[in-house]
Amino acid sequence: MIEPSLALYGEAFERVEQHLDELLTATGVRYCLLVDRKGFVISHKEALWAPRPPALDSVATLIASNAAATGALASMLGERAFNEQIHQGENVTLYVEAAGDNALLGLIFDNSVPLGRVKVYTKKSLAQITDLLKVVQDAPAVKFDDEFASSAGALLDDLLG
Amino acid sequence: MSTINFAAREINCKIVYYGPGMSGKTTNLKHVFTKIPGHLRGEMVSLATEDERTLFFDFLPLDLGSVQGFKTRFHLYTVPGQVFYNASRKLILRGVDGIVFVADSAPNRLRANAESMRNLRENLIEHGIDVREVPMILQVNKRDLPDALPIEMIRAVVDPKQELMMFEAVADQGKGVFEALKAVSKMVLDRLSQPK
Repeated sequence: MIEPSLALYGEAFERVEQHLDELLTATGVRYCLLVDRKGFVISHKEALWAPRPPALDSVATLIASNAAATGALASMLGERAFNEQIHQGENVTLYVEAAGDNALLGLIFDNSVPLGRVKVYTKKSLAQITDLLKVVQDAPAVKFDDEFASSAGALLDDLLG
Repeated sequence: MSTINFAAREINCKIVYYGPGMSGKTTNLKHVFTKIPGHLRGEMVSLATEDERTLFFDFLPLDLGSVQGFKTRFHLYTVPGQVFYNASRKLILRGVDGIVFVADSAPNRLRANAESMRNLRENLIEHGIDVREVPMILQVNKRDLPDALPIEMIRAVVDPKQELMMFEAVADQGKGVFEALKAVSKMVLDRLSQPK
C-alpha cells in the first residue's frame, strides 16, 4: 500500500504547536519545524528575532531526504537508524531528530545557542510529540466529495492550460 | 496517499518524474519552473553533479490554489536516471502519490527505457507499493529526433499491456510537458475523492 499520511488537526495540532513554541522559548533557536518523512511541513514556528524565513518547503524536503539517505547508510552499517543529525556551519547549525517513525523535528539556530541545551530540550519535547503523532496516525482516513475533484480540475486547467 | 494537514488546511501531493538517464526529467521540471508564474511556485532545488546530471533529485513545489478551503500543493521531484544511483531513486519514491515515466525516443535508449521501468516496479515493491496502485503517466520524450523510434515500439517495451495514459513530448521545447503533468495531477486529486 501507499505510505500513510499524517493528518494533524484539532487538539493534537494545537498541542504540537504548543510544544514547538515552548522549544523556541526554552532553547532560543530561530526556527523549529516538524516535517513528515515525505518532506511535507506538518507544523513550524519561528522566533520573533528570526530573519526572513528560508523556503520552508525546500528545507523540509532536504531534511527528509537527508534523513532518508542517512537511514540508508545506517542500514548498510548494521544500525536500525541514526536518530540524530547535526550540521554545523560557521554561523548556523541544523539539528534534526526523528520524531517516531513518521516524522522529523528540525531546529535551526545560530552559534549563540549552545547545542547541548538544544539537545536536552528537544529530547524532552520529542517524547511528547511522538506520543501525539501516534494518536493521530490511528485516525481514520479522510475522503473528499466529487465536488472536490471537479473544483481541483478547474484549477488545474487554470494553472496548466 | 497525499498528506492532508487539517489544521493548516493544506493538501500536499508528491509527483515523481522517473525514467532512464538523460531522458529529459530535469528538463520537464525546468520548463515548468520557467513557465509557471513566480507566486504559484517555490524555489527549484537541484542536487546535481558538476556536469548537471541529477545526483540525488530536483525539487519544485507548485501551488494549485485553494480547493474547498484546502490550499493544495504539488511537490515535483525527479530521480537520477543513471543506473548506479538506484539507492537515491528508491529514497525519492518514498510516499509517492503520482509518477510521470519519461521515456527516451532515441533508438539506442530502448533498452534503457525498459530497464528503468523494471527498476521502477522493483523499487515500488520494496516500498510495499503495487505499481497499479499509483497514478502513472507515460511521457515519450524527444519526439523531434530525426531517428525517433515509432511510439508503438517504445510502448511495447515499457507498457506492453497499454495500461498507461501516454503523451508525446519535446520537453526542451515545452511540448507535452504541461499535458502530462496535468493528467497525472488530475489522477492524484481524483483519488482523494474516490473510496478505496
